[in-house]
Amino acid sequence: MDLEVKNLRKTFNLSRKQRKIERTNEKRRVAVKGLSFEAKRGEIYGLLGPNGAGKTTTLRCISTLIKPDEGDVFVDGMSVLNNSMGVRKNIAFLTNELKLDDFFTPNYLYDYFSRLHGIDEATAEKRKKELFKRFGVDKFSEVKVSDLSSGMKQKTSIAISLVHDPDFIIFDEPTNGLDVLTAKTVVDYLRDLRNAGKAIIVSTHILSVVEKLCDRVGIIIDGELKASGTLAEVKARDKSQDLENLFFTLVEESGGAKRA
Amino acid sequence: MRNMWVIFKKELFRVLTDKRLVLTVFILPGLSIFLIYSIMGEVIGSQFEEDRVYDHAIYAENMPESLEASLEEVLTFHAIEGDYDRETLENMVREEELELALFFEEDFEDKIEAYQTGTDIPQLVVYYNQGHQHSSTAHNRFMQVMNVYHESIIRDRLEDPDDYHPYQLSSENFMDERTVAARGIAMLMPMLVIIFLFVGAMSIGPDAIAGEKERGTIATLLVTPTRRRDIALGKVSSIAVLSLMSALSSFAGILLSLPRLMQFGDEMPDIGIYRLVDFFAIFAVLLTTVVFIVSLIAIISTYAKTIKEANMLIMPFYFVAMIVGILNSFGAEPNHSLWVHFFPIYAPINALSGILMFEYSPVNLVITLLMNLVYSAIFVYILNKMFDNEKVMFTR
Ligand SMILES: Nc1ncnc2c1ncn2[C@@H]1O[C@H](COP(=O)(O)OP(=O)(O)OP(=O)(O)O)[C@@H](O)[C@H]1O
Ligand SMILES: [Mg+2]
Repeated sequence: MDLEVKNLRKTFNLSRKQRKIERTNEKRRVAVKGLSFEAKRGEIYGLLGPNGAGKTTTLRCISTLIKPDEGDVFVDGMSVLNNSMGVRKNIAFLTNELKLDDFFTPNYLYDYFSRLHGIDEATAEKRKKELFKRFGVDKFSEVKVSDLSSGMKQKTSIAISLVHDPDFIIFDEPTNGLDVLTAKTVVDYLRDLRNAGKAIIVSTHILSVVEKLCDRVGIIIDGELKASGTLAEVKARDKSQDLENLFFTLVEESGGAKRA
Repeated sequence: MRNMWVIFKKELFRVLTDKRLVLTVFILPGLSIFLIYSIMGEVIGSQFEEDRVYDHAIYAENMPESLEASLEEVLTFHAIEGDYDRETLENMVREEELELALFFEEDFEDKIEAYQTGTDIPQLVVYYNQGHQHSSTAHNRFMQVMNVYHESIIRDRLEDPDDYHPYQLSSENFMDERTVAARGIAMLMPMLVIIFLFVGAMSIGPDAIAGEKERGTIATLLVTPTRRRDIALGKVSSIAVLSLMSALSSFAGILLSLPRLMQFGDEMPDIGIYRLVDFFAIFAVLLTTVVFIVSLIAIISTYAKTIKEANMLIMPFYFVAMIVGILNSFGAEPNHSLWVHFFPIYAPINALSGILMFEYSPVNLVITLLMNLVYSAIFVYILNKMFDNEKVMFTR
């Protein structure tokens, strides 16, 4: 059993502040409108969509941070609605919105999250060495997060969110804000994880990330899945076999990227 | 439950290893209270001392020797010699160059002696300057001397000296030293306890919870398989311990400054008047009250989106607590009715007054402790729900 998103629907109430910022009168916004897709072990699924399409909302539902209004997500057969604790044990959620407490060192935070996941010290220590080496965190593992560069912080976040060696990895905008070198480290690591049999879902609005990384892709616009399948299948929907062209056509069809 | 301890330890580590926080939360409150009270004691003390050693300048015309001798007993002064007219003297008093100018009529004492009903009485004119500390002191002492003098003359004039006393007064004071000392402590302590606990919790709670929301670190915690109840308990227990430590620092400041503050006033209250059970009772009230206050502040901090908002929302509760505390310190007598012990904040303050004044019923004390715990449990339950509520945690 892998990861299954079934008929997912999520609506937000817009606060007065938000309505003002976005210059809209609507009181509620349907961010995700009945989304269904599947991610299998040993593959990277890419959720591609413009700003405000509902990518982050979908990934947050999968990671149990928010609850779907309708539909459900099954992670290894466990429902995010009925067994959120079970899901959390086997999933990692990475995003640059998830921050680390400035006051602590990567080393301390790693141990802290290991303990929260109930991992025994020996295993945690061994895994920490591997992860820190892989992402180069070992070079600054005793420096406070507040003194790290944003790239270093992102690398630390990635290492720390993987303390429990989860089978399912959800990554919102994996290379956002990273320099080319760091981005490459991350991309390489995701490939390794896939080859190790993990199921990975990444979201992005960058086409090249999808082309380079993903085995299957879903194009999400305005909370709806407009195209889905293997990279080749999706590309085949466009005459010129070009993902970029297809993406623009789909965006245009649904009235353009309304919300920037 | 294991994760509660993991969080508890991390929160403690966070605060106790941060030099800036240790300084502002644990050292500064005690230190500033100690300094303020010590300086107050010092100032009052030096006032007394200065009055005692200061050599007051006094101009006296025709002052009877007996009066001069009496004044010397209560005031250090030197007489200004020389020919001055009254206008000059008036100016000198105004300009604070002279503390006191006394103009006794010539042969003042003889004229009093020779007095018969209907004859003129001798004059005494006094110049002083109430706005000038030393002049005011000199004047007070002089008037004391004159009062005694006045009484002795009246007594002499009466045919039978016993006529001077219209009645015989004998009053006996059955004061219990213990109660007097206790009343002093009971007036101040409960209010200070509540204020210190609130201040302690306010300096840590908003940062530990609203701060995590503001910085976005709470989501990192929420994606781990940690029960929301453990998060709530871990936060509340760690903030409670830290608040208690902060409050203790303030108390240490007060206790250390008491000797200096009290050196010229009343006797220093003797804590030895309380028994061990009283201390246990006080500690039980303190402990349950800090948990109550912290869980209240935790709820507000969880609701707020930013530290600033949390601090703002806590203020009204702080003021209410402060007012209840202040009212209590005026109200003196602890309230013994059963029902008041169901009120949060009021009940513990009232219970503390009761314990400190040796009048509390075990039933009321138990109700107070239980209610503190019941309210806290309700708050922790709400907190647990809030951590699981995306509207509270992620609303934009
Ligand atoms: N907590 C929330 N409260 C109200 N509205 C929200 C909330 N979260 C998301 N939305 C709205 O839902 C819609 C989808 O947002 P979402 O963040 O999922 O988009 P996204 O695809 O991740 O976009 P981006 O590329 O900008 O990250 C947007 O219109 C957004 O304004
Ligand atoms: Mg997003």
